Amino acid sequence: MRFTHVTSNQKISVKFRIPIFVMGFICLAFGIFSGLLRLGYAIPWLSDSLAISHGTLMVSGFLGTIISLERAVAIGKPWAYLSPVFAALGGISFIVGLSTFIGVALTTIASAILSIGTTYIFTRQRELFTLTLLLGSLSWLLGNLFWLNETPSGHLVQWWISFLVLTIAGERLELSRVLPPSSNSKLVFVLIITLFLIGALLATLVKSINVQILSVALLLLFCWFLRHDVVRHTIKQSGLTRYIAVCLITGYFWLLIGGLIGLFAQPLLFGSTYDAFLHTILVGFVFSMIFGHALIIFPAVVNIKIPYHPTFYLPLAILHVALAVRIAGDLLLHQTCRSIGSALNALAITLFIITMISAMICNKKKESVGMNH
Amino acid sequence: MSMKSCHTSLSPQAQSIVDVLSNVIDPEVGENIMDLGLVYGVEVNQNIASINLTLTSSACPMGEMLLDDIHETLTKKLPSELAFHINLIWDPPWDPDMISAEAKQRLGWD
Repeated sequence: MRFTHVTSNQKISVKFRIPIFVMGFICLAFGIFSGLLRLGYAIPWLSDSLAISHGTLMVSGFLGTIISLERAVAIGKPWAYLSPVFAALGGISFIVGLSTFIGVALTTIASAILSIGTTYIFTRQRELFTLTLLLGSLSWLLGNLFWLNETPSGHLVQWWISFLVLTIAGERLELSRVLPPSSNSKLVFVLIITLFLIGALLATLVKSINVQILSVALLLLFCWFLRHDVVRHTIKQSGLTRYIAVCLITGYFWLLIGGLIGLFAQPLLFGSTYDAFLHTILVGFVFSMIFGHALIIFPAVVNIKIPYHPTFYLPLAILHVALAVRIAGDLLLHQTCRSIGSALNALAITLFIITMISAMICNKKKESVGMNH
Repeated sequence: MSMKSCHTSLSPQAQSIVDVLSNVIDPEVGENIMDLGLVYGVEVNQNIASINLTLTSSACPMGEMLLDDIHETLTKKLPSELAFHINLIWDPPWDPDMISAEAKQRLGWD
């Protein structure tokens, strides 16, 4: 009889992770509905008041839950799972209409625990990329503390952007280590991140919403990715590796567009350039990364295989075309373009989820057929 | 490291494990885990194979899944009398110098 033993850090039951994961996706669903409400779509069974929670449901309820859940899986300690639990509960509290203070407090606790968890990772592996991940977690915490202090959203949202951009940048920096070392790539990276954080701080302190310094850092980060990211190598490969590379490159393109809007469209105007700046980064850059990494990160979190299939390119293509329509509508003040583009973005995310579920089901069927034979 | 490094001469059973691991690809990089230097050692004693692995990042959530995938692949492809003891370890930390010369060449190193 074959006996086996597999050891890793402390395993937390997948059964415990799945409800947290599902709560994150409930926040995503309501985050999308609230975004459609903001653009004037009527959803009869939803209160219009949910529209103001769009940003927090997408950034903290969904992305905060998923990022802190994957970080907790990496840490492997039970306490680390409190972060995604609080982030998801924070999002749910906005959906069910509890007081804003409860939602903000739960989200702030989630970001504090994530910061502790990422500090733990940094102490285990003292590298520039773990420090960048830590700065990302602390940015989320700082943004939430500003929010708790009733800072207007226009002055704190750059910390939420910082949370996501630094988390992605840290992970790309880590992978760039497989490429030939460059004498100044780390130094340039440090300077860009420093400029980015100075830009975020200035955007908080000045009265009008000014993200010009932050945008210069985004443009420099785009150049750094082009020069040092492993995507230069992986785009020449095939299958899943190439699909991830395409997601990354298209995401970097939106980082460039966001940087250009933030730099040249001052002052940013609500309902126009401000929305364009936010969505190029939060949809174009961040969701491209999610589409690319979902096939390897989600299975790692919930232990269900999602095999790659070329159909995954379809929702990715719709996401980018829809965003282009939406951003054109933002910049040209064309409400129909904004509405159609946003609805198509919602469709792209929904289609991506359906494609993932289909791939999971097909794989399960194949496995059961294989076992029967 | 008490185990035999994969660069030293291996028993036929250990070599067959290394061959299987050479087909496990890191999808983010498009290179196999042997060439990336993620396998620290493989040793077989009395039909018990011990395999020590690492990841490039302690912030990566893929450790558990990678171990499960490797275990599944090994059990499918190797004789049923072999048992596996697969460990995820962090000491020493992974370093780019651990990448094989062949993979370095493919990745554009001089």
